[in-house]
Amino acid sequence: MSGLKLTGLRKSYGAHQVIKGVDLVVEPKEFVVFVGPSGCGKSTLLRMIAGLEEISGGDLVIGGVRMNEVDASKRGIAMVFQSYALYPHMTVRENMGFALKYAGESAENIARRVDDAAKILELHKLMDRKPRDLSGGQRQRVAIGRAIVRHPDVFLFDEPLSNLDAELRVQMRIEIARLHKELQSTIIYVTHDQVEAMTLADKIVVLREGLIEQTGTPLTLYDDPDNQFVAGFIGSPRMNFLPAIVQGGALVLPEYDGQIIPMPPVATALVQDAEVTVGIRPEHFKAGGSAALDVTIEIIEHLGGESFAYARQGKANVLTIATNSGRHWASGQRIKAEFDPASVLLFAPDGARIR
Amino acid sequence: MSLTSKLTSLLMQAALWLAAFISVFPFYWMIAGATNTANDITGGKFTLGSNLIPNITKFFELVDVPRIFFNSFFVAIAGTFFTLAISSLAGYGFEIFRSKTRDRVFGGLLLMLSVPFAAMMIPLFVMFSAAGIMNTYLAIILPGVASIFMIFYFRQNTKAFPSELRDAARMDGLKEWQIFIKIYIPVMRSTYAAAMIILFMTNWNAYLWPLIVLQTNEMKTIQLVVASLATAYTPDYGLIMVANVLATLPTILVFFLLQRRFVEGMLGGVK
Repeated sequence: MSGLKLTGLRKSYGAHQVIKGVDLVVEPKEFVVFVGPSGCGKSTLLRMIAGLEEISGGDLVIGGVRMNEVDASKRGIAMVFQSYALYPHMTVRENMGFALKYAGESAENIARRVDDAAKILELHKLMDRKPRDLSGGQRQRVAIGRAIVRHPDVFLFDEPLSNLDAELRVQMRIEIARLHKELQSTIIYVTHDQVEAMTLADKIVVLREGLIEQTGTPLTLYDDPDNQFVAGFIGSPRMNFLPAIVQGGALVLPEYDGQIIPMPPVATALVQDAEVTVGIRPEHFKAGGSAALDVTIEIIEHLGGESFAYARQGKANVLTIATNSGRHWASGQRIKAEFDPASVLLFAPDGARIR
Repeated sequence: MSLTSKLTSLLMQAALWLAAFISVFPFYWMIAGATNTANDITGGKFTLGSNLIPNITKFFELVDVPRIFFNSFFVAIAGTFFTLAISSLAGYGFEIFRSKTRDRVFGGLLLMLSVPFAAMMIPLFVMFSAAGIMNTYLAIILPGVASIFMIFYFRQNTKAFPSELRDAARMDGLKEWQIFIKIYIPVMRSTYAAAMIILFMTNWNAYLWPLIVLQTNEMKTIQLVVASLATAYTPDYGLIMVANVLATLPTILVFFLLQRRFVEGMLGGVK
């Protein structure tokens, strides 16, 4: 399996730059997930790696070879598309063997590789069906099978589960994780789904406006985000942000009637009256914390295992509180949202993390 | 049901029956006429008669039927094939490949739709005469192969062709022309079927342009023969109706064979 190296990769449409210089190393056998809001360039970047979009600048190296001008079919890459992109006039078997046929493989070799992939994905009963006779999950398995038979160095997945219902999505997610373990392949996966990114990735790449905001393991990004954007993007429900002012070594919350909370442990010396943003994850509100906010619950969602309370004080921004001890909570109820000040993150006005 | 809505329903039904009659009656009259003598028809007989076989025999005696049908089929099939090939390729190209001038060129093409064929006949006649291709199949087929309407039709339908299929084919190693032949054509077969019916009928029924460019009897198509039968001093309407029935059969056959795909194609289906 090959790794990838992206150096200063850029993509422009006329004067409009959509990828503004991406540097990234993907190690062999690594599962890398690109995440970011709509229009951040994650799919464009994937298509550039695939060879479906021309590269305007920088270098793309796969397995030690510069691939900028190499044809899509000769990059040692297979791609699974969001809409599956199965050829509707061909059977499952024909769909899976189509690329091999064009690569000049012998009929026996094609049959063997298609059967091997069918076995891995349990598709053998569907081989003579057309795509229109398959369910969404089956189609997705065929699309993955079509990628597997090519024995690629790198697999690319472009939001492969977004057309599936919630239950199938979970099943397919587990299946993709199993496949990665079994095939030991390098995978680059694009999604906007938090759970997919957190559960599948060895490494998450967070993109915004054509640039990488941060790269790291899922838990690194969750625990130690570099900036407010990453902190808000990783984690579901998203992190709560509260404006605060540094006063006398503590944090004053103007939206909460000037309530004071202790300063979290940061190495940076903050000047008096500095404006900062406090970040508290919804799941960090826990009974017994040494700091607390007085809030009134506006809406409560009981999911069984845990509850989400949407609460605020006065006209402050709504806080999301995730708790597994809130079964007795109700809308309109006033509570003390307790948390450990050490778990709070601080951000400068430009969004950079204050460490 | 109130009296007004009953009356409205009745009027609507009457209008529909009238429209259906206007559509179907000439067709029935043509079939009935083929079984009657000229005198019966001019005498106002609308029922089936017993003169079908003599009419057919006379038609076969007067006209070199195999030759005429060969001409018509050749012109219709070759015209349909080349128009489909060129117009679908152009429509696909206009939709898939972006360029700065694409929409301006396409706009110019659409503008040409407003030029009537009658205005182009004389220049075409002069050009074809100079090229020495008068009285050939090529002369009949050539003016229609780059049909602007068909280019427009294929461009509009190509909008429903999933771009991810093209991406997948590129990843599978297909060249652009292979994507067109191996993926686009099979996926868009309903669109092709609908276009095929329209083009076959247009080419089969073509009259004016073949009349201008065809100069010898052995090159004539069935439509020209039907017209020439009608120009006799005392037209034999039984004979003309037999010719009409025979001239209509292939288009009916093509329509019924491709009916399902025609409806899908007209609805813009990608199957």
